[in-house]
Amino acid sequence: MGRKALKPTEDWEADVNSTKDLGEQLAKVCLETASRDNATYADIRLVNTVIETVSMINENPASEESNDLGAGIRVLYQNTGWGFASTDEVDPENIRETTRKALSLARGAAKIGSRLTLAKEPTHVASWESPRKKDSLTVPTETKFEVLEDATSRMKAEGVVARRSQIISTKIEKYFANSEGSRIYQDIAQTGAQIVVAAKGPSGIQRRSEQQYALEGYELIDAMDLPGKAPVLTKEVLELTRAQGLKEGRSDVIISADQLGLQVHESCGHPIELDRVLGYEANFAGRSFLSPDQLGKLQYGSEHVNIVMDATLAHGQGLGTFAYDDEGVESQRKYAIRKGKFVGYLMSRGTSQSVGEPRSNGCMRADTYQLPIIRMTNVSLEPGDWDYDELIEDTKDGILMVANYGWSIDQKRYNFQFNCEKGYRIEDGSIGELIRGPGYSGITPEFWNACDAVCNRKSWTLWGTPNCGKGQPQQVMGTGHGASPSRFRNIRVFGAS
Amino acid sequence: MSQSLQKQIPLTERGHRVFDMVRKFARGAEEIEISLISTTGEYLRFGNNELGQSQSTKNRTLSVRLSSGKKQARTTTGRLEESFIKKAVEKAVSQLKTSPEDPDYLPMLGQQSYQTVSRYHTRTVEESAETKAGYVGRAIELARDNKLLASGVLGTSVDEGLILNTAGLESHYRGTGGYFSLTMDADNGNQTGYALSTFADISELDAPKVSETALERAKLNKAQMEVQPGKFDVVIDPHAWSEMLFFFIVSASAGYSADFGTRQYKEGRSYLSGRIGEKIMGENVILEDDVYHPLQMGPPFDGEGYPKSKLTLVENGELRSLASSRISAHRYQDAKPTDLVIRGKGPTKTTEDLVGELDKGLLLTRLWYIREVEPRTKTLTGMTRDGTFLVENGEVRRPVKNLRFNQSLLELFSNIEKFTEPVRNTSFTGTAVLEPGVLAKDFNFTSVSPF
Repeated sequence: MGRKALKPTEDWEADVNSTKDLGEQLAKVCLETASRDNATYADIRLVNTVIETVSMINENPASEESNDLGAGIRVLYQNTGWGFASTDEVDPENIRETTRKALSLARGAAKIGSRLTLAKEPTHVASWESPRKKDSLTVPTETKFEVLEDATSRMKAEGVVARRSQIISTKIEKYFANSEGSRIYQDIAQTGAQIVVAAKGPSGIQRRSEQQYALEGYELIDAMDLPGKAPVLTKEVLELTRAQGLKEGRSDVIISADQLGLQVHESCGHPIELDRVLGYEANFAGRSFLSPDQLGKLQYGSEHVNIVMDATLAHGQGLGTFAYDDEGVESQRKYAIRKGKFVGYLMSRGTSQSVGEPRSNGCMRADTYQLPIIRMTNVSLEPGDWDYDELIEDTKDGILMVANYGWSIDQKRYNFQFNCEKGYRIEDGSIGELIRGPGYSGITPEFWNACDAVCNRKSWTLWGTPNCGKGQPQQVMGTGHGASPSRFRNIRVFGAS
Repeated sequence: MSQSLQKQIPLTERGHRVFDMVRKFARGAEEIEISLISTTGEYLRFGNNELGQSQSTKNRTLSVRLSSGKKQARTTTGRLEESFIKKAVEKAVSQLKTSPEDPDYLPMLGQQSYQTVSRYHTRTVEESAETKAGYVGRAIELARDNKLLASGVLGTSVDEGLILNTAGLESHYRGTGGYFSLTMDADNGNQTGYALSTFADISELDAPKVSETALERAKLNKAQMEVQPGKFDVVIDPHAWSEMLFFFIVSASAGYSADFGTRQYKEGRSYLSGRIGEKIMGENVILEDDVYHPLQMGPPFDGEGYPKSKLTLVENGELRSLASSRISAHRYQDAKPTDLVIRGKGPTKTTEDLVGELDKGLLLTRLWYIREVEPRTKTLTGMTRDGTFLVENGEVRRPVKNLRFNQSLLELFSNIEKFTEPVRNTSFTGTAVLEPGVLAKDFNFTSVSPF
């Protein structure tokens, strides 16, 4: 589009087709205002988010497309106080006013704050588009309804009480600029889908579901084959209504890759968030058992446990993949746990130096144009060297846990409990009887130190978790977690009554 | 700067202008509805004794719903200029042509009359950031004086919404809200205390009391002893368990549908299915869906403008009725109770009274990370946090390490002996729930945390 003259009126119309151009114009207004009012540092993000949700609940269709455009402005005053203000009125006058509001909050915070230094980051001027083969937002809604209708109709059966399916297509355009000279435009496409079938039988209501979310286009939906999966899940859920539960006790467990992805999220990803460690999240999300004195010392897990924090494209197309984080730091790959030892945190420019790191590893992320906070990127368990079949054969007596149903963990991330939709007994190296509602629990370091086998890359998947909640007011973020089936010895297990 | 200083055209005036534009562009639609929602908020967020994440937010959402025959489509945009509205409407028109028919579609509602609710409080809007920062500053000062770290948030918000449709409906709501949530801690979170206050009118906020409560609990909650898990009689503080009580509204078994919803009940998805008239809880329990309770928040109508009415879900422990609606405008959100009021029958006590009447047991000041384990028995798991105390002979004796519970919600509500008056709390979805403190028997703890 051609550049428009900036008109400070409330009917000033921004061209939504060029977030980058609009961002450049508004960044100039913001950064000049912040500089004139003596801000130590300022940054602005203009974020344009389009989300299409297409759903079928039994026979009832629903579709919705939302478009949310707004700007978040962050200002540091006298190296001491942060202020943040956001607005969805993205004309020059409002951006100027919003910048001043952020400055006013920063001045207030500076009165009771302490001096801080931002870790150095090179200036980046860049433009990045996430890879996609088929833009999901340009695939007709009708085509998505056809897939979902096909899937939900294949879940009809005697005893089935609920059938749901959904496709979500997201495009996020971000323009970031800061007072140090960085100018970054990113165009991010994410796609996801979920199917759920619930049935009622002698054991009450059972559920089977499958979901995946990734930094991909509609090719993800094609690959998921929802109509093909629907009858398989339906057969399983009906079997679960007649299946046995699991008695409480201790057992070796093999945890499927999807369930282990969530285990990594809750018991590795959250405790390594440095803002939790420093007390900034103590009121809601909580703290962490990983105090800085344990860095480089704590044996978090067994030698088989290697956890990376990796936002680079080389790691895969996960919900935690990007080129630059929301304070302009380039994506990186770092170890959080190496050969079982705790070696690194998820950090920001304002926190990395508190643990002796001169540079942030790029983990500041924001839900739309809200305040960036420390978030997981892709936090993944690296593949081991076991073939899945060999691992089953090597297990004499155990339980295979598959597909998450519920999850809970204490505020310092020690005591966890997970419940799964289904499980199987493993007897003499073979998968046997189906189990409904199996669960397991433990204490985080004890659990990861009980890991004696991790499957290889052939059964490794980068899972998307689209709904991680954190912050006040609460923000929702997508994160990625790679995992492969792994074995843990002598774990407390239990089941549904 | 207070929220009132933001210049704005009244939402009702702007909404009618927008509706005219939408009607102009919605060619081919038989029925047209717009929902315009505006939310502004100021959040003084602090941690580690620093006011580090102060935020001011402003957001408007225009949702356009079009229907033709039994087809409907919806688009949403945050931009109210004509070109953006045109684009959003054209997308909805396009989707309308290709959407499958909805067999349960009902025509849009005509004009409705609503019971008046008065939930907009000027002082909440006009209170200066300096005054609010003063509340936070004194909490931080108190924490510093006691070698503790304060973290939390003091937030205020203004919510306003307008629904208009071509059948003649006009529904408008405006309300204020806020909360002061405070944690004081030390020793890397091993020593913590928590307090919360919610308000519609900031005049109701007793900030010093919130600070003193968090401080008192943090000072008490150190050098915790470990107790063996098992069944304990408990006193649950009224502000402790909104997340747990949220599970009266949702079920994880079929995509977080609502157990107390008519549709879920009829389809057999609810653990309550077939149990109308059956005693499901203690005779002293009353559950209501009542938006008109003086402590409740939010509009007296649902997402398509249908008037809400008071509903008794459980009375004398017996399942009496279920939440229903016209077919919801947002189809994928099944009907559910939206304004839950939980209370005890008969005279109530204070939390201090309940502790005084507990011979031996635990005082729980905050429950956390609650999830459903089994839908049939409505068994939930979760953790205690920020202060769990052993009580003997009616007195708090000493803190104990945090415990995990696995507890049936229905069994718990059959074991409640005494109630406090309900207080306003908000669940993690933002839904306001009025919840009492209770003294209950045999709460089931299953494991212990190292802190």
